[in-house]
Parts: sequence; structure tokens; C-alpha cells
Amino acid sequence: MALLEAKDLHVGYRTFEGYLHVLNGVKIEVDEGERVGLVGETGCGKTTTVKTILRVLPMPPAQVQGGEILYRGEDVLRMSARAVRDLRRREITAIFQDPLQALNPMFTVGTQLRDILKDSMGGRDGGRLTKRDIEKRCIVALQETGMPDPERIMTNYPSQLSGGMRQRVCIAEALSREARLLLADEPTTNLDVTIQDQILRKLDELVDEKGTSVLMITHSMGVVRDLTQRLYVMYAGSMVETARTKELLARPRHPYTQGLMKSVPRLTGEGISEGIPGRIPNYLEPPSGCRFHPRCEHVMPVCKEAIPPFYAVDEDHFAACYLYRS
Amino acid sequence: MLSPSRVLEGAVKDTMLKYIGLRLVQSVFVLFGLSILIFFIARVVPGDPARAMMGYLATQDQLQAVRVEMHLDKSFPVQYYYWLRGLLHGDLGRSAYTKRPVVTDLAQYIPATLELILFATLISVVLGQAMGILAGYFRNSWFDGVSRLVSYLGIATPSFVIAILLMFFFSQVLHLAPSVGRIPIMMTAPPTVTGFMVLDSLLAGQFSTALVALTHLVLPAFSLAVIHIAQEGRITRSSIVENLGKDYITMHRVHGIRTSRIVFKYLLRPSIIPTVTVMGLDFAFLMSNAFLVELVFMWPGFARYALTTMLNKDLNAMVAVVLVIGLTFAVVNLLVDILITFLDPTVRIQRRGG
Amino acid sequence: MRQERKADFLASLAQRRRTLAKGWYKYSRNPLSVLGLVVLVLIGLAAALAPHITPYPAQAGAYTDFQNAGKPPSFEHFFGTDRIGRDVFTRVVFGYRFSLLLGIVVLGLGVAPGVVLGLIAGYHRGTWVEAVIMRTTDVFLAVPPLVLALAITAMLTPNLLNEMFAIALLWWPWYCRLVFAVSSSLRSQFFVREAELSGASEAHILFREMLPNCLAPILTKMTLDMGIVILLGASLSFIGLGAQPPTPCLGTMVADGAKRLPGEWWGTIFPALAIVIVILAFNLVGDGLRDVFAVEEV
Repeated sequence: MALLEAKDLHVGYRTFEGYLHVLNGVKIEVDEGERVGLVGETGCGKTTTVKTILRVLPMPPAQVQGGEILYRGEDVLRMSARAVRDLRRREITAIFQDPLQALNPMFTVGTQLRDILKDSMGGRDGGRLTKRDIEKRCIVALQETGMPDPERIMTNYPSQLSGGMRQRVCIAEALSREARLLLADEPTTNLDVTIQDQILRKLDELVDEKGTSVLMITHSMGVVRDLTQRLYVMYAGSMVETARTKELLARPRHPYTQGLMKSVPRLTGEGISEGIPGRIPNYLEPPSGCRFHPRCEHVMPVCKEAIPPFYAVDEDHFAACYLYRS
Repeated sequence: MLSPSRVLEGAVKDTMLKYIGLRLVQSVFVLFGLSILIFFIARVVPGDPARAMMGYLATQDQLQAVRVEMHLDKSFPVQYYYWLRGLLHGDLGRSAYTKRPVVTDLAQYIPATLELILFATLISVVLGQAMGILAGYFRNSWFDGVSRLVSYLGIATPSFVIAILLMFFFSQVLHLAPSVGRIPIMMTAPPTVTGFMVLDSLLAGQFSTALVALTHLVLPAFSLAVIHIAQEGRITRSSIVENLGKDYITMHRVHGIRTSRIVFKYLLRPSIIPTVTVMGLDFAFLMSNAFLVELVFMWPGFARYALTTMLNKDLNAMVAVVLVIGLTFAVVNLLVDILITFLDPTVRIQRRGG
Repeated sequence: MRQERKADFLASLAQRRRTLAKGWYKYSRNPLSVLGLVVLVLIGLAAALAPHITPYPAQAGAYTDFQNAGKPPSFEHFFGTDRIGRDVFTRVVFGYRFSLLLGIVVLGLGVAPGVVLGLIAGYHRGTWVEAVIMRTTDVFLAVPPLVLALAITAMLTPNLLNEMFAIALLWWPWYCRLVFAVSSSLRSQFFVREAELSGASEAHILFREMLPNCLAPILTKMTLDMGIVILLGASLSFIGLGAQPPTPCLGTMVADGAKRLPGEWWGTIFPALAIVIVILAFNLVGDGLRDVFAVEEV
């Protein structure tokens, strides 16, 4: 049984202009101990997916129209509020893109870390933690992320820390409990290029040590290559291709993925490509059927009718494209 | 929350004390300027100041006595000098209206207004913030709509209108609360310890008197509080709405922090900062509204005394009154500023210099 | 040459029309602001045409008719009659006249000096000029406006003119401070430096370069201030300073009528409502203006 399995998710936002149908039948699977990457352009629905899994979508505008998200067999979308809360405290954790916005500017790092541990009630060991235990665990969590002088960091306010340090704090927050699954939404995109590598490597180390499964969202091929075992490619609200990372990078099959690979500038080769013609669709009036069809050079009449399911193109390699229908 | 000892040791070491010191010096200068301004206004009466003060029944001898006592025959700077000298000795002159030293008048009337203002502030903070928090958290609910309406009306209605309306409904129509003074004429007041009627009654063991005094406090305090409930509640509401959408609140939820902690600790603190910022300025309006409310409810307080002295051109009292108000305002502003520094770390870091 | 200048002028007119149209579009998105504007226009028209549209214009001034005194609202007297027989409705409409006049005069007298002083203080930020101007502002703002207005009006003979003069005297510091905040931050911007380098006179810099940037907050504040000034005026006349009877003043009417509560409630309630409505309308319009001028976040 997969650790996390999302099936046919449909999520949208009700706005002033109309209904934005963002997630259009998303399916994704993460196995125990696996590192899965999720790539896609900005606006394709990656963050919405993560927020839906955690059930932290702002519910007045957002609406979940259908689908299920099975975590260890139980449907997250239909769990009680208390069960979801337990899930967040002990099973699933997350890091988001902007560390400055992710930390409350009015409280010290220590206060925020301590409260997280206080309310999580000691992870899977059960039982309550004493103040000293909590303090120790906070320091350890910060140390693990490679921060010098964690005691002082505990007394600092987020505005007093650099971007890299803030993200380390966020990582510490996320991994301070022994969660089984980490959802990382572009954790290094907002950081200085020079620090990105450091942080990623540290993250890699930590999840390796703890055996945490990871769903890593990024739009950088470099990150994906180094850190993930399996890869999903997302476009305009649905998954278009999935395979083991090496396989997918070497032999992309879906027209979108192929276009994406060609767009990545290489030091060797033909120089900078022109990218994929067209723009990502407007979610108010998305294209019918396969949402990529307006931009696809292999478009066929059937593409406009219904969204294609995953077809096997190779062993453990699937693409959602009618080209591979047989 | 910062522990007091930690903050103190920090403050002593760095620029916070310097900042307070600077503010105090500034205030002294401003009050100085204010004293000159009001002194000028008080002496620039067309006609004979002595006659204006004493009324048309006074005899020439009485008028002359007043002129000498208040140095009205000398030049303006000389008059100011005498007044300033008196001030430094704790003597604010004699009130032409009450015939007593102004300082005595102040000592008698200030506690009454203080009791009123404190009670009004208590009501407005409790009700105003509760309304703002609920309206913000349950945005666009019926409660939010109603509170918005109340806010608009509260801000647009002058305090004397509110006072009269409240008096009309609760006192005259429904007979729920009294409308005049601090305690009924029939009742004897408790011995003055603090000057707060309710407190003094409790201290003297006269519980029924305390209760009655409380009922007398309700309507005037409420009249004063309405505008603050309206305005500050609205600011809190929009602040809560803004902060609810912030990423860090989502993160708190993601990390499993309990909802009560999120709302009452992590959401509340940033949200009340804009409101506290406004409280200092609002206090000025509280004081000026007290003039009107004390008039309507015949509350024997400082504001009504101030009003009477101005209407009667009681020069000494007038100058003293304006300075007391100026001083109170300066002190309150400074306190609010210090409070903000406590609450908002970003400001604290700025003031401390990192 | 003349043709060019004419073309420029027409172009700038057209641009101004466009900005106005855009501004109106933004403003009209909020129904409450539009409502406020409608109410204000109605009140303004009523006040201007008061002698022609009220049923008993003569009763606005000195008039007694004890036989008709204390009559409740009826078809002949929409708001009833007061204790000496005057039609309350007529007096309320005339009262609006004086309230609006008060607001216009006070703002007319008080805003300009405040703005000019603020510009000067901001331009000369850091020098003794700024220090003098801003410290004086501090002194005036050290007490709430009602207090000083009371003191000044009480010292002079209470009448409408003195009331206007007294409040106007107190109003300039708010605008001085407002404009100072904007102009002192503009001071170090490039376009000011450029103007200085190209030899522009100080007057030109102040009024042609810096002032246009302050217009938005000034206009918003002026609109909201109308409500505040009217409130202040009503408070003063409630106390008894300000326009004396028989001049119809909304505040005085409330005070007079209050003596007759709860029996003859119409003498107080209607003028009170009138005050609330006009202040509310100005608040709504001011809020709407603020939204129009607010920079939209990307």
C-alpha cells in the first residue's frame, strides 16, 4: 500500500470573475521511503495540490469537487477535523517557498518551535514532554539543520536572521517531529543561488537519516535530478507524465515534457531554445479534454474530447497522451 | 512573551531609556509652548479681563483687588513670569468662580472624571476588541455585517447625541439607569480615599452605595465608549482579516499548533498593534467628549469644571485646565508608545538598534 | 507656436478628463460611497435652496407662535414644532446651511496655510525653519481641538463668525503635519533635485513639483474633515457657544429639545438624526475617495 495516494482530485476556486477549475483529476503516489519529485510551471497547481493534502486550503474561495487522498489507506478529505490535526502533528509535515512569510515576525524562533513541539505531544513515542525535553529537542532540531549556535537562534526574531537561516528554521520546524511524509514546496526557490545547494544538501541528508518520504515540488531540473527517485510532471492541473527520474529525464514521452526538456538551457548543444509556444490556460475557461492540446504539435481530434488517462509507454513509465493509446 | 527582567536589563543597556528621555524632554517643551499659547488666549479678552471674570455686579474695589492679585495691570510677559513662578511652587492661582485655589478644585474634580474615563476605556477595550476579533474571524457573517453598521453609526454620531439618546432610552423610557450625577442626592457619599466613588464605597463597606454608584457610571461611560468601540473595533477587524490570510498562520496550522493558541496568541498580537497605535490619539477624543458627556449627565467632574471655567472666563482655572489636559495627553501618548515597543518586536529592534 | 500650445492644452484637458473618468469608475464600485455622495448632494441642494423649498422659511429665524408650540410631527409640520412654535423641519434644513457653511469656511481658511507651511517645513527639513514650524504644530496639537476651540470661543463673544474663526485657527496644524510627512519624503527624490539643479525657484518646486503628490491625501482628509468640523460645530453650539438663538443651529436645537425629553422627543431626535446623517455621508464619501486613491497592489 502506498503511503500517500491521491486519486482524481478536482479542486477549484470560486472568485469574483467565476470558478477557477484548477486541479483537473490529479493523481499522485508516494511510497514509503520514496523521494518523489513534482515539476511544473508556476501556476500549474502544485501548491494547490500540497495544500489540499494538508487540508489547509482557504475554504471559502476554494472548493474540493471530487477525488480522494488516501494516506495509509484513509481518505484525508473525509477525515474528521481532529484526525486531520493528528495527521499534521505526527504524520505529514511541510516546508513552503517563502521562509520570511512562513515565520511569525512577532515571536521568537524559540517560541514558535516550542509551541509546535508542545502541541504535537512528543511524536510517535507518545506521552507528554517536559519543558526541558522540549527545549532539548528544539536545540537538536536546529543543530541538525547545520545552524551554528542554536541557543542564540532560539532567542532571535525571524527578521534578525538571513534568508538561508530562516529556511533552516523552517526545516527544523518541519522535521522536529518524526513525520513520515514531508511535502516540500519549492524550498529553495526564494533563496540566494549560493545557498540553495547547501540547503538542499542538508535537507537530503536529513530525510535520508530519518527515513522520511518526500514529495518535492520544484521547477528546477537540477534539483530533481539530484534529489528524487521518481518524478511527476504536471501541467495546468493534471499529471501528464510519471516515471523514475533518470528514465524520465533521458526519455521524455509527453509532448509537454519534451518541450520542457528542450527549454532547459544546456552548456553544450544548440544554445537557448525558444520554449513552448502558447501560454498556460486560463482556468476560468480551460481547454476541453487534454489541457495541453492548444499548444501541442501532435494534436489530434480526440485530444479535445476527453482528458487522456495514463498510458504505459515503458516499464514503470506512464504518459497521459493519446499518442500512446495502443 | 518577554520576561520583565530581561526587558529591563536590555533597556538599561541601550537606547530605549534614551528614547523615553528624549520624549519626555520634548513633551516638556511642548507643554511650555502650550502654556504660552493658552496664557495668551486667556489674556486676550476684548474688554476688561477683571470685569469679564467678576461679572457686572462686582464693585470697583473688588475689580481692583483682582487686577492687583493677577497682575493684570502689568505687561503680558510679566504676567506670564508671575504665573510660571506660581506654577513652580505648586500654586495655580485662585479660581474666580469657586473662590478656591485652583489646585483644590483640580484635586476634587479630577478623580471623578478619571473614574469615568477608566471605566469607559475598560468597556471600550473589552467590547471593542471582542467585536473586532469576532467580526474579523467570522468575516462576512451576519455578525460582521451588523458590527460594520454599528461602526459606521458610532463614528458618525457625536457623543452628546449618543449621551442624550442613551439617557432617553435607558433612563427616561425604560427607567433602567439613573441619569444625573454620581450617586442619588439622598445617599451619603463614602469618605473620600481614592476619589473613586465605587472604590471608596467598597472600601467603606457600603456595598449598596457601591452598586448604585456603578449604575450611575454605566450610561455616561457607555456614551464615551461607543465611538471607541466603533473605531477601534473596525481597525482590529480589518487587521485580523489581513493577518488571517498571512502565510505564517497557515504554517502554524500545518505544524499542528492548536487553534486556540493560534487565535489568541499568534493571530491576536499582530492584529492589535494597529489598534493600540490609534488609542493614543483616540484618548484625546475621549477627553474632549468627556466635556459633552459630563454636561449631559451632570457629572461633577474635571471636564465639567473645565467647561464652567471657560464659560465664565475664569482665567486662572482655564489655563490650569488646558495644561492638565495637555499633560495627560502627552503622558498617555508616551505610555502607548512604550506599550507598542513591548508588543511589536520589529519596533523594539528598531529602537534598540538591532 | 500658438497652435502647439493650444494642442498641448487640449491634450492635458483630455488627459484630465480621462483620469476623472477612471476615478469615478473606481469610486462607483462601492455602493455605500455612491449613496453617501447622493445624500451629500441632496443635503447641499436643500441647504442652498433652503428659503425656497422649506414650508415655513420665516420660522427659521425669530418667530414665535405659542399656539402652535410643541406639536408632534404631522402633515403640516413634518418634524413637529419646537417649544416656541417654530417648524422643526424648516429649522433643520436651515441648520444644514450653517453647518455646511461652517465646514466650508473653516476648511477654506485653515487648509491653505497648513498645506503651505507643511510644504515649506518638508522642503527645509532638518533646518531651523522646519523646527520652528513643526514645534508650533506640536503645541497646537497638544490638546484635543474641542478644548482650544472652547477656550477661544469662550473668550470672544459667542457667535457664528467667531466660532468659524476659532476652529479655522486650530485646523491648519493637521494639514501641516500631513503635508510635511509627504513632502519631507519627497524632498530627497530625484525630481526635486533635478528641479533645483535646473534653477527652479523654491515656489515652483513647492507648488508645481511637490504639491501634486500631496493632493490625494489632502482631498481625502478634507472630505473626512468636513464631517469632523460639523461635529465640532454641533458640539460647540450644543454647549451654547457658537451661533446664538434665534439662528437655527443643529447643535443648539438638540440642546433645547433635550430639555423637553422624553415628552416632546421630536425637538431633539430630528436635529440629532440630521447631524448623524450628514457626518455619515461625509465619512462614506471620504472612505470612497480613499479607496480611489489607494494604489492597487500588484
